[in-house]
Amino acid sequence: MKLDEFFVTGEPMIYAAMVSIVVASLAILIGLTYFKKWGYLWREWLTTVDHKRIGVMYIIAALLMLFRGGVDALLMRAQLAVPENGLLDAQHYNEIFTTHGVVMILFMAMPFIIGLMNVVVPLQIGARDVAFPRLNAVSFWLFFAGAMLFNISFVIGGSPDAGWTAYFPLASLEFSPTVGNNFYSISLQIAGIGTLLTGVNFIVTILKMRAPGMKLMQMPMFTWSILITSVIIVFAFPVLTVALALMMFDRMFGGQFFTMANGGMDMLWANLFWVWGHPEVYIVILPAFGIYSEIIATFSKKNLYGYKSMVASMVVISLLSFVVWAHHFYTMGHGSMVNSVFSITTMAIAVPTGVKIFNWLFTLQKGRISFTTPMLYTLAFIPIFTIGGVTGVMLAMASADYQYHNTMFLVAHFHYVLIPGTVFAVIAGFHYWFPKVFGFRLNERLGKLAFWLITIFFNVTFLPLFFLGLNGMSRRMYTYSEGSGFGPLNMVASIGAVGLALGFVVLCYNIYWSFRYAPRENVNDPWGGGRTLEWATHSPVPEYNFARTPNVKGMDAYWHSKKENQPLFEGKIEPIHMPNNSGQPFILGVIFFFLGFFLVFSWWIPSIIAGIAVIIMLAARTFERDHGRHIPVKEIMEIEEKHGGELV
Amino acid sequence: MKINPNVPLEYGTEENSNRIFGFWIFLGAEIALFSTLFAVYFTLWNRSGSGPTASEIFELKGVLVETFLLLTSSFTCGLAIHAMRHGFKKATLVFFAITLLMGLGFLGVEITEFVTYVHDGATLSTSAFLSSLFVLLGTHGLHVTMGFLWGAAIMIQIKREGFTPDTTNKSFIFSLYWHFLDVVWIFIFSFVYLKGMM
Amino acid sequence: MMKQLFPIKHVMGYIFSLVLSVVALAVLMDGITYTVGLAILLICAILQAGTQLFLFMHINESKDTKTSLYLNIAYALFVGLVTIFGTLFTMIWGY
Repeated sequence: MKLDEFFVTGEPMIYAAMVSIVVASLAILIGLTYFKKWGYLWREWLTTVDHKRIGVMYIIAALLMLFRGGVDALLMRAQLAVPENGLLDAQHYNEIFTTHGVVMILFMAMPFIIGLMNVVVPLQIGARDVAFPRLNAVSFWLFFAGAMLFNISFVIGGSPDAGWTAYFPLASLEFSPTVGNNFYSISLQIAGIGTLLTGVNFIVTILKMRAPGMKLMQMPMFTWSILITSVIIVFAFPVLTVALALMMFDRMFGGQFFTMANGGMDMLWANLFWVWGHPEVYIVILPAFGIYSEIIATFSKKNLYGYKSMVASMVVISLLSFVVWAHHFYTMGHGSMVNSVFSITTMAIAVPTGVKIFNWLFTLQKGRISFTTPMLYTLAFIPIFTIGGVTGVMLAMASADYQYHNTMFLVAHFHYVLIPGTVFAVIAGFHYWFPKVFGFRLNERLGKLAFWLITIFFNVTFLPLFFLGLNGMSRRMYTYSEGSGFGPLNMVASIGAVGLALGFVVLCYNIYWSFRYAPRENVNDPWGGGRTLEWATHSPVPEYNFARTPNVKGMDAYWHSKKENQPLFEGKIEPIHMPNNSGQPFILGVIFFFLGFFLVFSWWIPSIIAGIAVIIMLAARTFERDHGRHIPVKEIMEIEEKHGGELV
Repeated sequence: MKINPNVPLEYGTEENSNRIFGFWIFLGAEIALFSTLFAVYFTLWNRSGSGPTASEIFELKGVLVETFLLLTSSFTCGLAIHAMRHGFKKATLVFFAITLLMGLGFLGVEITEFVTYVHDGATLSTSAFLSSLFVLLGTHGLHVTMGFLWGAAIMIQIKREGFTPDTTNKSFIFSLYWHFLDVVWIFIFSFVYLKGMM
Repeated sequence: MMKQLFPIKHVMGYIFSLVLSVVALAVLMDGITYTVGLAILLICAILQAGTQLFLFMHINESKDTKTSLYLNIAYALFVGLVTIFGTLFTMIWGY
């Protein structure tokens, strides 16, 4: 392979990106060396198995990916702002909408959620860590390896360009001959294995590691949502694993699964993709529901209305999410029976979702509502998400869908679901639990400014797309003619996108500002209305979470212990057993990155060497004997004293 | 390390009992994985294009040998765990050794079968049917291979350390995996081979 | 010693699974219709899987996780069957 095929060439923007990647990497390397932070980075972060630190790393990665996906979005909006724009050519536009989709769903939304659940779930159930801390680190590093592998395609080899759904035959070797879609199949595979392991880990954590006395039906709603999400992850991700493997076989080993000759079936890819893809939608939305439930209860100073129906509706959603996938390709041309069945199941999902909306409204009713930043996002979510949901029911009707399919209407619909649903939720959760990790709250004024910018400009960006879609503008068109009349509304949407970007800039500035100037509160319950166990321990949380295991007697244990003045923590302090740090997960991630990279370019001998290295790592793990360590009582007392306040 | 004396040693610590539970969840994911492969196979199995069909290439003899080997290895694997729970170290090692050798025999027959197919011009890229067949069988075979390596590593550990919470836990989890592979094989035997020859 | 090494339950389970495999071969005989053949295969395979799950894998031996494990297998079967039959329904039967 020639060098100019290896590196992506001929695009000034990509040259600029290459230069900035090199400069930024050099700056990080020099900075780490100059400030002598290598040891710190290795000891405290790269080798950590602490669920809170892993969660923080997930969120940092997600914010980086938000930036990447956001730049993609801005480029798309810039291209579409005026008719017949020449900013991007068709190929470049294809690559950008592909990477925007993949990055935002798989490398932004999911890790942001997984980050929050890593930080919060063990605290909410009164545990010291997840069930398998080492495996948790492996999950993170596999995700990170996959994400980096995907992103490197931008400058080396070329990005995938067949859409985030990578439909065949477009994604086949015949029509996408570059290595772009190899990057797609292999990087998603690596990240997907990490996600699957996270799912297993959290099911075991939630089912087996709860504090004594906490029954299943007394768990905080966020923990419930993560349990259900983990179940969906465990059963949906294997389907993606298979689909991606078959894609790899088709593209790299002459497989005939999705070809158009020799019996292959191109739509089988679409089928498999959505068998995973629709549950995936619920993987990113159910945790959001959990976050909103926590925030609404806290800032209404009331317990959550209809706890049991909340749980039941999530269980029903988790089952229904597996039986609706064909609504993504009604227009494929299968019979009316298939379309009718999937139409009905799809519309049925609106029922449990509606139950949840009403439960939130009833929780708000007669509550003493405090309008904090997280609460504002939550309150904005309810009406905006409902627009997304109702347009979803419109799309669910198979015969009408022939009109909406692959138009901007669909694009507007899923952004109306995913942004107020998932993105608002993770931002709200980020603000809400931030003080738990860092000991101080983000600035409320900047937070509210960001909220208003994001909410208003979100609507300015995406509302016009509904009308553009109904007027017949199809998605993934890199340009349109003046005569189509799409110009003005597109201009509005593009202006909105700039405002949206501004909102995210304010959000990031707020993080920076608060780190420098926000008052360090270091109180257990900075919001004053905390109901669940995470607010019972110190902020920032010590490594062992709780010096003594909390004794739970019912729902909202912390709230009731405050109100009824009952101690949550009893007994004497004993040495605490904690897992040891390990460099193996990080090394495994690095090996997987190279394994993936070699496979992408079909460099077999390096691939085999990297594969053997993976097996050696597995063997090293099985022969290892590491039973963790105990933190002695004296050290616990010192840490507790340093955190001040009462002993927990 | 607190060890609960009322349960078998492999369940003894909280961590180890979580590991067994977690592995069961993982097997749930494996069920979803193999179901997807079966879904692909059933969708494509009579789309053989210009290549041979199922009934033209399947041969009963090899399949019966494979089935017998895997069923027996599953049996001896169960015996190994039984012996382990009674503290018979030598018997456990012998039963595990038989299990792994049978697994190796299974792989040998399977590889021979693959070589025959390819020799007869039935390769991965011949038709959709053959692609799905090779990937379904190959995934199962890959699992058996990984199981072989894993089981061998555990045998070394039992030999070195005897029965400890670590080694018994690993052995038991390995046995779950091995029995699961047998279950998958039963479905391949029934719904790929026998159904294909019907 | 032999009794301890070869518990009767395991031996019976093994024989049972061998018998089931032989019974499944019946579908290759002439005169068995496709439907009957599939039914035989299905019943034999389910019994075999049950033998492994209960006799060899001891799915029901731990009291506190028994229900979760059943639910786990049930959920996996639900997803698996939906994937298999849903795919056949969308891609072949209802096409």
